[in-house]
Amino acid sequence: MKRLMQPSLALVALVAGLVSSAAAQSNSGSITATAQVQQPINVLGAVNLSFGNVFPGVNKAVLLTDAGAGRFDVTGQASTPVNLAFTSLPTNLANGGNNLPVAFSSGYNTANSAAGATSFAPGSGASTSLSGTGALFVFLGGTVTPAVNQAAGTYTGTVTLQVTY
Amino acid sequence: MDLCRRLVLALAALSAWATPVAAQRPLTVQGVRSLTFGTLLAGVNKSVLRTDAINGGQFDISGPSRASVLLTFTLPASMAGPGGATLPLSFGSKDGGWSPPQQIGTQTGFDPRAPFTAPLDQNGKVSAYLGGTAQPTANQRAGSYTGTITLTVVVLP
Repeated sequence: MKRLMQPSLALVALVAGLVSSAAAQSNSGSITATAQVQQPINVLGAVNLSFGNVFPGVNKAVLLTDAGAGRFDVTGQASTPVNLAFTSLPTNLANGGNNLPVAFSSGYNTANSAAGATSFAPGSGASTSLSGTGALFVFLGGTVTPAVNQAAGTYTGTVTLQVTY
Repeated sequence: MDLCRRLVLALAALSAWATPVAAQRPLTVQGVRSLTFGTLLAGVNKSVLRTDAINGGQFDISGPSRASVLLTFTLPASMAGPGGATLPLSFGSKDGGWSPPQQIGTQTGFDPRAPFTAPLDQNGKVSAYLGGTAQPTANQRAGSYTGTITLTVVVLP
């Protein structure tokens, strides 16, 4: 009787082993999730465009390389393409109800040097890339054309530059 | 003696029955394609669809012909980035999918947040896909972020 029980237990063990091996097939694999977050763009109006004193009937121009030229300082993701657009580009500077006609010129450079800037039409905007350190400088010049009877006073206007990836 | 003979026959029968199980194709799970969100801007969510053949995640599974398998994703709540920064991830009820192998366009969707049963085809194959959404915060630190997604597959008896 005792001898007969031993193969029975062996049989049970074998069956359990077979069932276990059939049901336990399991495996896993992995992938990665990846993302690259870009540095936010900052645009700083660093230097105002200043025409200084002007006289009625005498046009006055400020070149990109002149001391009175305006400058925007842009920072963002290094070596990344950006679009430049002036979203506010007045045709007149204003003093109360009096207007002083103005036209603008512009250029950009990855270095803070107007002399090496690439010119572009302010009304059309431009596409370029930030430098290897994520910098870009946009220079603004222009010409005012005061009328012969231009009223005396201080004339101002706001120019806004929008930069997008 | 008769009982011993019957046991021998039973063991022989079991051995014969066990043969097909031993010959079954082994279960393999291969991570084929990462879930790639690409370039993100701080504060702007970005989703990748499971049907995206370039950026969507994909696993290829191989096992016994026509078996049912239980798919269980281990999904991270965020990706890790520079200086200990984390970027939140979320997965929706339709972000998981399965199809016959390599047929990404004929997926059946499922909720990857819960275990799901899918069938292997006559060749013992199925592909599993995964989409998701990255949710960078408004002040998300710039840099590269990564996370690990694991798919565990069990052949159902």
